[in-house]
Amino acid sequence: MIIKYSPLPDFKDKTILAPLIPVTFFNGKYEFSTFALVDSGATGAVISTVIADALNIKWNKIPLAQGFSVGGPLRSHRFNGLKINVYGHEFTLSIGIIEGASPFKCILGQRDLFQRAKITFQGYKSQFEVIFREYN
Amino acid sequence: MKQNKINFVKLLKGYRDGWVAISHDFKRVVFHGRNLKDVMKKAKGSKGKVYYFPAGEAYSSFVG
Repeated sequence: MIIKYSPLPDFKDKTILAPLIPVTFFNGKYEFSTFALVDSGATGAVISTVIADALNIKWNKIPLAQGFSVGGPLRSHRFNGLKINVYGHEFTLSIGIIEGASPFKCILGQRDLFQRAKITFQGYKSQFEVIFREYN
Repeated sequence: MKQNKINFVKLLKGYRDGWVAISHDFKRVVFHGRNLKDVMKKAKGSKGKVYYFPAGEAYSSFVG
């Protein structure tokens, strides 16, 4: 699957291009669809607390763990067993629920999507390619 | 297989805050709310699948 980078709004009418993909999360009977940033620099998947709320995940009852971003420490709650569907490929992941996540509310990274698919960024074409691994 | 460009600049034009629900073909905003809970309430019972996305964010400052 070849996916064009998505133009995103910015201050002063500037445009930012970013690799985003449509995803659907499942937590039991709760379902939530959004767009995730594909981030090769992210250790693993994260969602914001508002998305966790929408999936009925009681994140404030999960012990706090410290995570790190380039900007410094962040407050994270680890949730295991969340299902995700990406272009018809479904798998389970362990996700960090981040307090105050901004601007992206959902990110997929090395421990999840990058284990499931070969991903090639072609910034010079403003696109990237996702090829899912075949499992027997 | 190729996915058409999802243009959030066009989609989010006119939406300065809150969250939106985007149609399954990624071509239009079908609901808007002052927060995620609000827009999910509006989208509840709608026929097609929708994708939720925040409006009013600025993205250039992100380093990840």
